[in-house]
Amino acid sequence: MELFTPDFGLIFWMFLSFAVLFIVLWKFAWPVIIKGIESRADLIDKGVEYAQNAKEQLDHAREEADKYIAEARRQQAEMLREADRMKTQIIEEAKAAAQHEAQKVMDAAKVSIEQSRKEAEQSFRKEVSAFALDIATKVVRNQLADETAQTKLVNTLLDEMENKN
Amino acid sequence: MVVLSTILVSQSANASTSEGGELQIKETIFHHLCDGYGWEVPFSHHHRIPLPIIVRDCSGQWHCFSSSRVTDGGTYEGFYIAHGGAYNGKVVSVDANGNEYRPIDLSITKNVLALFISVFVVIACVLSVANWHRRNGHKAPHKGVGAIESLIVFVYDGVIKSTLKDQARRFAPYLLTVFFFIFGMNLLGLMVIFPGGANLTGNIAVTLVLAIMTFLVTNIFGTKHYWKDIFWPDVPLWLKFPLPIMPVIEIFGMFTKPAALTVRLFANMMGGHMIVIVLTMLIFIFAPMGAGVTGATTVVSVIFSIFMLLIDVLVSFIQAYVFTMLSTIFISLAQENPHHEEESETTQVIEK
Repeated sequence: MELFTPDFGLIFWMFLSFAVLFIVLWKFAWPVIIKGIESRADLIDKGVEYAQNAKEQLDHAREEADKYIAEARRQQAEMLREADRMKTQIIEEAKAAAQHEAQKVMDAAKVSIEQSRKEAEQSFRKEVSAFALDIATKVVRNQLADETAQTKLVNTLLDEMENKN
Repeated sequence: MVVLSTILVSQSANASTSEGGELQIKETIFHHLCDGYGWEVPFSHHHRIPLPIIVRDCSGQWHCFSSSRVTDGGTYEGFYIAHGGAYNGKVVSVDANGNEYRPIDLSITKNVLALFISVFVVIACVLSVANWHRRNGHKAPHKGVGAIESLIVFVYDGVIKSTLKDQARRFAPYLLTVFFFIFGMNLLGLMVIFPGGANLTGNIAVTLVLAIMTFLVTNIFGTKHYWKDIFWPDVPLWLKFPLPIMPVIEIFGMFTKPAALTVRLFANMMGGHMIVIVLTMLIFIFAPMGAGVTGATTVVSVIFSIFMLLIDVLVSFIQAYVFTMLSTIFISLAQENPHHEEESETTQVIEK
């Protein structure tokens, strides 16, 4: 039966066609395609790996950044607290210094006032004694002969005056 | 598909009405399944695309002429087409003693032309993928090229790489060529009109050549261990020494593998073609029983033909895949080394 007997002509052409097909595809197609497909698969694998790493790093970086931000906030708060504390301290110190200075000025003023008062007293006393002498001299010159007794008397009187004061 | 079936129906209708009778129906079926010296065109059974006939007569002389000179019962340079007898439907001649003989026939018949068309189509398809890879590097192809590439990846990763492992690169060109060649021929065979329609993979010569190729690749590249397993397998001595029972079985097995490949592909594809044709012919078998019966049969036949053609598309792929897979397994069995014993057992299980 024809259906089950291979025909020589067809076998011949089949061999030839298959040989041509195989050689053409073997030379020009399969190596290129297989290499292309495999290198693309490699590329995709590498890409995925890279992306995973990048994502991991990104997540990590975000964590890191959050940590830094928290740290910075903490430091900021601390610095603010410190500044506040220093402000009050400075103010306190300034107040103390000012008080101290004022005290000193007042003390100096007191001393100088006291001195001026003493000087004024002294000069007043000198002037008063001089005036008194002058007056006494004028009075006594007329009344007293003995100048020395007169001076003594006057001095005694003056001492009395002073003691009263 | 509907359009194609309609054409098929009308073509067969012409065939049947012009010849008539039940015997012609059987002849028509076999005519469609077998090779021919011309290619039918739709809507006419008498007009054919003429193809070159190349024959060498008994005196060693080559003759080349158009098939249109002999297909209508004519005789050209002593050659004519035999009707009946051992060479039914083939170009024959008469030698000096008056005996009919068959010359060496290298004609470009319908099947041979279909073969050339298939080779051309497959080369075009595969080279389009190769060119894409050359030009576009790592970009993924789209549309047609992408579809072919995904098929290549499907066969290469799914069958060749998983079975042959590190040897995959070495045998991939042959196996991929076989897959795409068979797949192309199968699909072209399912097209009903001119560029297709030849029952190519349903022809035993074609499948035989493919199986011989696998046989040659398997045995030429077989390892030492493979040959040792054939001639001196690991079985008790009495099984191989005085009477070489196991070696004989093994050698027999070497030839049954390609035989199974041949018959499997041939029978599947021929069966598919035959079912579609027979379903269509049912219309003409029932034709004498009146218009109502013919109408009903036509509807049923067309629906079943379409269904069978769709199944055949699936079968085309499956058979190409199975042929490639079995070839891969046969090659991998001949590639094994002693330390791969366990792997070979698993592949044998798959084979069963």
